[in-house]
Amino acid sequence: MGHFSVSVVGKDRPGIVAEVSRILFEQGCNIEDSTCTILSGQFAMILVVFHPKMAATGELNPAFEEVRSRMGLMVTVHALKDEEVVHEKAFSGAPHIISVYGADRPGIVYMVAKELALRKVNITDLNTQVVGSKDRPVYVMVLEVDLPEGIDMKELEREFDRIRKELSVSITVRPIETMEL
Amino acid sequence: MAVLPILKFPDPLLQQKSAPVESVTPDLSSLIDDLLDTMRASPGGVGISAPQVGILKRIVAVDVSASKRGSQAINNGLLILINPEILAKGGRQIVREGCMSIPDYTANIERAQWVLVDALDRDGKHVILESVGFEAVAIQHEVDHLDGILFLDRVTSIKTDLFRRKKYR
Repeated sequence: MGHFSVSVVGKDRPGIVAEVSRILFEQGCNIEDSTCTILSGQFAMILVVFHPKMAATGELNPAFEEVRSRMGLMVTVHALKDEEVVHEKAFSGAPHIISVYGADRPGIVYMVAKELALRKVNITDLNTQVVGSKDRPVYVMVLEVDLPEGIDMKELEREFDRIRKELSVSITVRPIETMEL
Repeated sequence: MAVLPILKFPDPLLQQKSAPVESVTPDLSSLIDDLLDTMRASPGGVGISAPQVGILKRIVAVDVSASKRGSQAINNGLLILINPEILAKGGRQIVREGCMSIPDYTANIERAQWVLVDALDRDGKHVILESVGFEAVAIQHEVDHLDGILFLDRVTSIKTDLFRRKKYR
C-alpha cells in the first residue's frame, strides 16, 4: 500500500477530471488531496492518492496510457514515501504577504525568490499575473511566505531595496495578522 | 464573574440558531460579565458570542480597543450588542480570522468593510451604530455565531484560505 502524486497537464476542456478520476476509481485509489487550476488555457491538476495494495510508480502509471494518447494529457505518477505525506499545511514561522509590482520584465520572480531562498524563507503560495493594457503591461506577484524566527529583516529590506532600484518595482512586506474572535 | 468554558467545533450547539432576548433583565447582566471575562481571558480576544459558551441567546460582545491593531483603528470601544441585526453593509475586505471555538485553524475570510448595526445595549436601550474595518469584521463574525455560522462556512477555498495553526497563541 502507498501514496502517489499524480499530476495532469493538458489543454483545458470538459471531461479531464471525469476521465482522470474514473481511472483512479477503477484502479481502487482513494483521492486524499487535490487541487487544480487553469493557466492560459492549460488545465493543471495535482492529486495525492492512496492505494491499499500498490506501492510502486510502475504499478499505477500504465493505467493512464489511454488518456495520454486519447486526450493528449501529460500525466506524471510518482510514488511517495509515507513521511513525505503531510495532510495539513503547517506554519513554521510568521506568515507574511509580499506583494511586488512593476513594469513587466524578466527576472522579477527570480530576484525576489532568490533572496528568500538564501534566508530559508518558505514560499507557501505564489500568484503572478500580468495586468494593465497591452502597451503598458504591469507585472503583479503576490507571495505568501513563512518568515523563519530570527530572520534579519533589516538586511532583507536592504536586498529588496536593491531589487526595487534595479528592476523599478514596488515591494511591500506585511504580516498576516490574525484576528482572534 | 467567571471565565466560562468555550465550546469547540464540532459541538452541535455552535451550529444552532440562537433565540432573541425577550427582555433585558438584571440576571442578563451577570451573563454579560461572564462573557467579557471569558473574552478577555483569551489572548488577543476581541469578541465573543453567547452561543460559544453554550447559551443560545442573541448576545455578543466586541472590544477591539483591547488589541493593538484594533486600538489604532476607528472603533466604538466596548460593545455589548443584544439582538444585533446588520441593517446594511458595504465594501469588501479580506481578513485572517481565528476563532476560540476553532482553535486549530485560521482562515482568510471576506467580510464587509462597513456595517450598520441595530441592537439593544446592556441597559436594554435601542442603539444604531456604524462600524468600519477591524471592528466591523469582529461584529460580522460574532453575529454569524448567533445564526450558527462558523468561519469554516465562509471559507471559499480550503486550499488557499484555510491554515493550520502551529500553536494557539
